[in-house]
Amino acid sequence: MENFQEYIESGILEQYALGELSAVDQAAVEAQAAAHPEIQEELQEVQATLGFYAEAHAVTPPPGMRERVLTNVLAHIAAPVANNGLRTTVDAVAQTTSPSSRVAPAAPVAGEAVVRPMSSAPIAVAPARSSGWAIAASVALLLSLGGNALLYSNWKNTRSELVALQNENSRFATTTTVVEKQLGDLRQENEVLRSDEFRAVALAGTKTAPTARAKVLFNAATHKVYVDVRSLPALPADKQYQLWALDKGKPVDAGVLTAATASGTGIQHMKDVASAQTFAMTVEPAGGSVNPTLSTMTVVGNI
Amino acid sequence: MSDTSLISLPPAAEAELVRRLQARDESAMTLFYDRYSVALYGVIFRIVKAEDESEDVLQEALIKIWHAFASYDPGKGRLFTWVLNICRNLSIDKIRSRQHRVGSRTQGLDDSLTAQRQAAPTVFRPEHIGIQEITKKLIPEQRQIIDLLYFEGFTQSEVAEELNIPLGTVKTRARTAIKVLSKLIR
Repeated sequence: MENFQEYIESGILEQYALGELSAVDQAAVEAQAAAHPEIQEELQEVQATLGFYAEAHAVTPPPGMRERVLTNVLAHIAAPVANNGLRTTVDAVAQTTSPSSRVAPAAPVAGEAVVRPMSSAPIAVAPARSSGWAIAASVALLLSLGGNALLYSNWKNTRSELVALQNENSRFATTTTVVEKQLGDLRQENEVLRSDEFRAVALAGTKTAPTARAKVLFNAATHKVYVDVRSLPALPADKQYQLWALDKGKPVDAGVLTAATASGTGIQHMKDVASAQTFAMTVEPAGGSVNPTLSTMTVVGNI
Repeated sequence: MSDTSLISLPPAAEAELVRRLQARDESAMTLFYDRYSVALYGVIFRIVKAEDESEDVLQEALIKIWHAFASYDPGKGRLFTWVLNICRNLSIDKIRSRQHRVGSRTQGLDDSLTAQRQAAPTVFRPEHIGIQEITKKLIPEQRQIIDLLYFEGFTQSEVAEELNIPLGTVKTRARTAIKVLSKLIR
């Protein structure tokens, strides 16, 4: 056990993460990490930290870099496929042509060898008159091969552009969904705020926080409760504001406020409350409590 | 707070991306690019310090990542850690070869520190926390050591030599700095 600490303190994990170690030492660290979860955990933390440090230095790349780099990378990684594709085309052409020109009893299949029988064909077999046609045919075939290669590379480019565009499109769609959701939330808030059925209950700050202000919107018919914060003192991360409805003096939990609501970002839908005469907020451990801690009451207001 | 991290791909999404790259799915590279390129470019740029060359290194790195993907072992660490190391190594190779060409092995600390200070002309992403907090939390000595180790590709002994302080001090400062930073992620 105490050896782990010594190993960790030696700084070797940092050296590993920074890429300073030889292959042998690297393997040794990996073996230690695999054998001891404590070391593994520490190593991952060091790596995550350096990753975080790297990320913090993220810079906006120069304009147009995405297109340039992606196009080049995609073209490069697709390159072996492109060669094969072209070769297949050449082979296919060779196979359809060679029987009709009655050359080469053993036409080689290798890509580069295919062109040779074509140009040598007129000399070897055909009579002089048809050699003009043969040359014309060869030229036409070469042009067509060149054309194919050109079309193929255009198609390849178009494909990578398409991938980039599709990606752009899906990013846009995601943004739209997010915006639509936000809009839906705002609509709902607006309905609540405009509705006559909701009674606004002003909550004023207590002695502990005289400047605190909040508002509860309570619908006695549907039992729905919303809370709208003007200003509340900031809380440490392990604390949350909790809303209570007091019904004939008995406190009923109406849910905890999210950090966003507590900072006044928007209104929040709380738990339904059947009946209440008073609303109040207390400071409770994150997640809320079963009973209110009365000494921390921050705001209170009667209907 | 998990949202301090830009690269916080949920484990399932990361596993899916890894699976597609292992399956040699070329379109996954576009996704990969969109997730990681800004962070990777940032690191490369901090090391190489020239836009054109940084772009070349990024491109080279992406091609290398594609071809070497079979050697990535998810059991040994996050995808981001692995690709970050590839980018750092290529960038450090780049500046080392450049220094060899010029003829002087080390630029000398004064030059490299001045370069560092001036190396932030490009816009920092405002939604990105991090850099400000880091500057606040790390004392200058710690930050200097992390920068030399991480962005200049110095070994710990080289840092000790360059700053004229004992190797033990370098190790302690580097470890403390990483401890301080790791608290920022949680």
